[in-house]
Amino acid sequence: MNRAKGWRKHAYHILLWVIALIFFAPILWIIIGAFKTTDGILAVPPQFVFTPTLDNFTDLFQRPNVGRYLGNSIIMSAASVSIAIVVAFLAAYAFSRFKPAGTNFLLFMLLSIRMVPAAAVVVPVSLMYATLQWKDTYFGMIMFYAMFSIPFSVWILKGFVDGVSQRYDETALINGGSRWHIIFRVILPQIAPGLVAAFIFNLIFVWNEFLFSLLLGGRDTTTIPVSFSTDLYSDGGVDWTFIASMATVYMIPPILAMLFFQKYLLVGMTFGTVRGEV
Amino acid sequence: MTQAKLTTPARLPELAVPPMTPLRRFTMRLTRIADDARFLPALLITPVLLFFIIWNVIPTMWMIGLSFYQYQITMPDTLNFLGIENYTDIIRDRAMWQGLSRTFIWVFFGVGVQTILGMVLGYLFWGSKDMPGRRLALTLLFTPMIVTPVAAGLFFRLIYEPTFGILNWFTKAVFGQELLLLQSPELAFWAVLFVDIWMWTPFMILITLAALASVPKAEMEAAEIDRLSWFDRIRFIILPHSKFVLMLGILLRTIDSFKTLDLVYLMAVPGTTTKLIAVLLREQAFEALNVGWSSALAIILLLTAIAFTSIYLYILNLNSKAKAKETAA
Repeated sequence: MNRAKGWRKHAYHILLWVIALIFFAPILWIIIGAFKTTDGILAVPPQFVFTPTLDNFTDLFQRPNVGRYLGNSIIMSAASVSIAIVVAFLAAYAFSRFKPAGTNFLLFMLLSIRMVPAAAVVVPVSLMYATLQWKDTYFGMIMFYAMFSIPFSVWILKGFVDGVSQRYDETALINGGSRWHIIFRVILPQIAPGLVAAFIFNLIFVWNEFLFSLLLGGRDTTTIPVSFSTDLYSDGGVDWTFIASMATVYMIPPILAMLFFQKYLLVGMTFGTVRGEV
Repeated sequence: MTQAKLTTPARLPELAVPPMTPLRRFTMRLTRIADDARFLPALLITPVLLFFIIWNVIPTMWMIGLSFYQYQITMPDTLNFLGIENYTDIIRDRAMWQGLSRTFIWVFFGVGVQTILGMVLGYLFWGSKDMPGRRLALTLLFTPMIVTPVAAGLFFRLIYEPTFGILNWFTKAVFGQELLLLQSPELAFWAVLFVDIWMWTPFMILITLAALASVPKAEMEAAEIDRLSWFDRIRFIILPHSKFVLMLGILLRTIDSFKTLDLVYLMAVPGTTTKLIAVLLREQAFEALNVGWSSALAIILLLTAIAFTSIYLYILNLNSKAKAKETAA
């Protein structure tokens, strides 16, 4: 009896693993492709057994622009998300504790920025950027991404600040602490998980962002996702070794983030509106 | 060493009261204002407002203004006031309606399949807490939704590729038939939609897991004792507890699906069967450089998004009200 149950349990777990692997298979195929030669990728029938080579990666990092793409992606995501988190945290505290007039309206408008089709957001901004000559500048791109990361961060952080009891503020005030002391020394340490979640998911978002970078950026500020489209073709065909090796390198940070910060995934994917763990 | 110790007390009073320079007076006044309860909320919100106004309100106003004009970037001198002609143009445009109905089909089938598949698989994954390597398995399962759509589109271009793609090799070997997916006008749409389903089914699995986590254990145990059938369990216990989270998930997915652009951008082979509404907007604004016209379309989409957002928040509020009632009861 017990043995049969154990056997069923194993089958169940194997089934779940198979489902997970099916979803991962297309990604695995491109990662495998990164270790093949050009002929290997184009081989008919497809090669499943082959001698892996690291040539694609050495070739990738010898390309003149790849270092720049990587650097741009890292700089832009880190800088814009850092700005956004600081700005959003201060606002989240104010929204949560003082509830100034128009709080609900502002929160609504902030959320709707994220609901608008990206092309509709980028049309007016590109008009403004063309006039101010902010196109293809680090300042323009970083500030735009910061703006785009703020709504999400405000929502997520307000939820976390709401979760900290007002008693902490009151106690600190009675003991002579200033508001700034409360914000940074009392509240901040308690909402560290919220900060981590907001940081990670904004990073992933900016790291993955394609359309804004394509339409507002340019030669100097090309990020990795855009490089997939600008460097797609070489010698009249799709440059699959570049795509495969670049994609493999590019996917490492998000996958690692998912592995280590899995418990924030739900909060991160729902703008902080659904709490819990999976 | 000893000398230094001896001289210290003599300096102390001097350190305690620094001289009152104008700069110090200024910073002291600043900190007092910053600490003032009347100014603090405004001060804290100012940065967000600045970002919001510069990068959102001003451009949007600009765009609203331009939507009443005929304006093309290639011809900056031709700025003719048209009134609402851009809007009536869009309403009369056949391509626009095709794009819109295509988008609705996209959202309906995409979100529909993702929801059903996600709920079934999420239900399967419920109770996998003691699964070996669970964290890694979930990471692999959830990876599709954090890959940039551009890359996902390229991965599937490699898989769908007619000459050396793995899918074609498979169909040729098994059915003896070539399968030209992205090149065929009828199939391209569904081939791209399949990629969207692959990417976002994990999201619905995640939402389903979250929804199931909110079902109280005690009630499930009671159902076990009462020997409720699994169908009744779902109907009477699981759904009432999880419907709010599921609704939020479906709505978020609907909104995101409505916006789809990147994925189509790199997968679409010339042709019109994959042109969703957002794709048409990008073409008009950044290829035809028809700014007035595309501003009008952008505003229509903006209003749609605001409507979606209000529905989302309405459901969210219902949820928190229901929870408040529960705790009060």
